[in-house]
Amino acid sequence: MEKITVTICTGTACFVMGASELMLLPEKIPADLKDKVDFSACMCMEECHVDSKKIPPFVKINGALMEKANVPDVIEKLYSLVGQER
Amino acid sequence: MVLRKTLEKSMENSNIAIQNNVTETFIEVDHYQLCKHNQHSPGDVFLSEKNPADGRTITTLSDGLGSGIKADVLATLTATMATKFIAADIPAKRTAEIIMNTLPVCKDRGISYATFTTVDIEPDATVHILEYDNPPYLLVRNNTSVEPVKEDTEFERKNKKTAPRVKTVLHYSNYEARPGDRLIFFSDGVSQSGMGTPLYPFGWGIENAYSFILDRIKANENISARELAHDVVQEANIHDSCVPKDDISCGVVYFRNPRDTLILTGPPFDQKNDAELAEIFKRFNGKKVIAGGTTANIMARELNAPITVCLDHLDANVPPYSKMEGADLVCEGILTLGVVSEILEQGVMPAKENAATRLVDVLRNSDRVYFVVGTKINEAHQDPKMPEGLEIRRNIVKKIVSLLQEKYLKEVHVSYI
Repeated sequence: MEKITVTICTGTACFVMGASELMLLPEKIPADLKDKVDFSACMCMEECHVDSKKIPPFVKINGALMEKANVPDVIEKLYSLVGQER
Repeated sequence: MVLRKTLEKSMENSNIAIQNNVTETFIEVDHYQLCKHNQHSPGDVFLSEKNPADGRTITTLSDGLGSGIKADVLATLTATMATKFIAADIPAKRTAEIIMNTLPVCKDRGISYATFTTVDIEPDATVHILEYDNPPYLLVRNNTSVEPVKEDTEFERKNKKTAPRVKTVLHYSNYEARPGDRLIFFSDGVSQSGMGTPLYPFGWGIENAYSFILDRIKANENISARELAHDVVQEANIHDSCVPKDDISCGVVYFRNPRDTLILTGPPFDQKNDAELAEIFKRFNGKKVIAGGTTANIMARELNAPITVCLDHLDANVPPYSKMEGADLVCEGILTLGVVSEILEQGVMPAKENAATRLVDVLRNSDRVYFVVGTKINEAHQDPKMPEGLEIRRNIVKKIVSLLQEKYLKEVHVSYI
């Protein structure tokens, strides 16, 4: 099974709205998910334009954008993806 | 096209050839100091200024008698008077008289309440040095110390009753500086460090301090004023077993080849200028910094250079820095610049490393800084749901520019795109 890629946006808006906590995901992730996920960060996904009406912080899980991301939601999504694979 | 020409013109005006085959001299002035142990205020004070009107650089070190706030106030008074009077072309002797008659004299010890060393550098590289009661300065040229010729003037205070009992002597010297010259001056916290220890019962001593400085220069011919001042003070601190027995201060003036740094922050107002910004970035000779996620994405696209975010020095207040080929530092924009401005203002580097401390390091190790500020506004920052305090980019850059010029004596140029 291929590893799930999680990319955290660390741009200004995302950082202020919670990316600083999301960056701790590699440490906070439960042991049973640890080896199934590849974490990385990017400088700015440019999803934060007011007319896009999407709300930061942004995380991309396997390329799919999650807005208003937070640690519990990301972990829940990861579990659901892993569950689907089984 | 227009911006590149403007930037290149400002670089020409400050005499840098893009091909970098012109040797131009920059006067790097820096200092480092440690407070006496358990004091909150240093009793040694540095005051430096570059006057854009007449192109002079003046730097003064004053050592206030004792330590703590009282010494700080006296030293500040002395340093300010010395610097301002010299800048106003008041003759050296008269300057010294005014200071001497203003400062109180310690009734018990019979010595004046503050010392001073003032270094005045004219645009034609003539240097005038005035010294009163500080250890003598060291002049280093081609890795050797040069013995300066000094004119001594003895003084008497107007009020002889309160005059110091020991002789008051003012030393004046001048010389023509050459590229590569260094002038090092320090307070007696340096020369008297280690006093009473088995290794240096009478203190480190001026001659030993000079030898240390010459050794440091021999070991690293291009050692910056900032690094040398720091090394001298730290060495003295070690003699005091890292519990300074007095304020330890060292200032260095170095006639050097300028170190140039380019900082891009903010995307160009018109997307059509993205390519020009990338051209400026590519052609620049010196350190290159990108401060801003969108700006970095533009550069990465135009220069075909991927960005990797480094998650090793995570910080709650400063977004992580990144690496990109061709750039010395890539970081987020406004938040990071805000912290940079705070650090520059306080003058003290925080212990924890992050993108802001790295950028401060680059700036402090630069002589000429070129800002290129993109004026496209990020609408997301104007969203009322966002926390207040996200200063407009222009304002934060202006603040940093003025700190770099006035506090750190750097040469700064700003262009907008």
